[in-house]
Amino acid sequence: MNDNNNDHAVVDIDCMEAINGLYAYLDGEMDDPVQISKIENHLCHCRSCYSRTEFEKTLSERLRKSAGNQTPERLHDRLRNLIDRF
Amino acid sequence: MNTAISDDNAARTDGNIRPPGRVTDTGQMKDEDTKAAFSRHVENCTDSLYSLALRLTRNNADAEDLVADSVTKAWSAFESLEDRNRFRPWLFRILHNCFISSYRKKSVRPVEHAYNDLVDDDSHDDLTSLLIKQPDEFLLWWSNPEREFVNSLLGEDIMSAIEMLPEAFRITVLLVNVEGLSYDEAAEVLDVPPGTVRSRMKRGRTLLQKSLWEHAREAGLVSDDIKRCTS
Repeated sequence: MNDNNNDHAVVDIDCMEAINGLYAYLDGEMDDPVQISKIENHLCHCRSCYSRTEFEKTLSERLRKSAGNQTPERLHDRLRNLIDRF
Repeated sequence: MNTAISDDNAARTDGNIRPPGRVTDTGQMKDEDTKAAFSRHVENCTDSLYSLALRLTRNNADAEDLVADSVTKAWSAFESLEDRNRFRPWLFRILHNCFISSYRKKSVRPVEHAYNDLVDDDSHDDLTSLLIKQPDEFLLWWSNPEREFVNSLLGEDIMSAIEMLPEAFRITVLLVNVEGLSYDEAAEVLDVPPGTVRSRMKRGRTLLQKSLWEHAREAGLVSDDIKRCTS
């Protein structure tokens, strides 16, 4: 662990490196704080990658909202009855 | 280290329900506690289970049967689940296995993207993300004034695109993007390495974007200026 990361300038990365790490970053799969800083620093000054990131976020959010389905009440009842008989 | 979800923990019985919990001095009380805990866990994930089952079976009745079957199997194996904080991915795995063994053959399959979906490595670059391959025109489209209109149709469009994804990508995207599972959890549910989940997510998203992009062009959601720019 390096607690002094904030004391040093974050090394800039190019767009390709940023995009390659973008999904891991957005999915919360990036554990390395240095790598996270690099991505965030790049997004702060790269309009193109920032827009791409916003698009991915929006698409993911729309997907989450669109994919949800209302569970029929009869299924809730069925499961309750099922578990009661266990 | 895979300690939470394994096939050993998955129920293998069909209909023969073995109540978990041991007979103790409190006897029935112990079982009731277990049952109450099980019931709470199921209640908390019913919506997610049903949504996933519906996307897999594409049929309301089958989705409900699949959820009920999965819950039955989960009950028979509940005692073997050591970490109950992992109930959700554990139950997803049971549902996925149940789907493969009993429901997949009869599920209605729409025309899916013609794609070599069994290839899980990153060696193919023909489907590089639109965000890399077509950055300028894509960003022009995305930032144009019609964006709000596109947004208003996006839910329906997205689900159509999801439906056309090959099953391996569809379920991976749903588990990670919709249900919020980590790559490791999704890997355990699908019984594949985490790296496979990562590559399926990349490819699934790429196919999704490609499909939406084509739909936007065909539906006239892309302005003439942008079409000229991309032609």
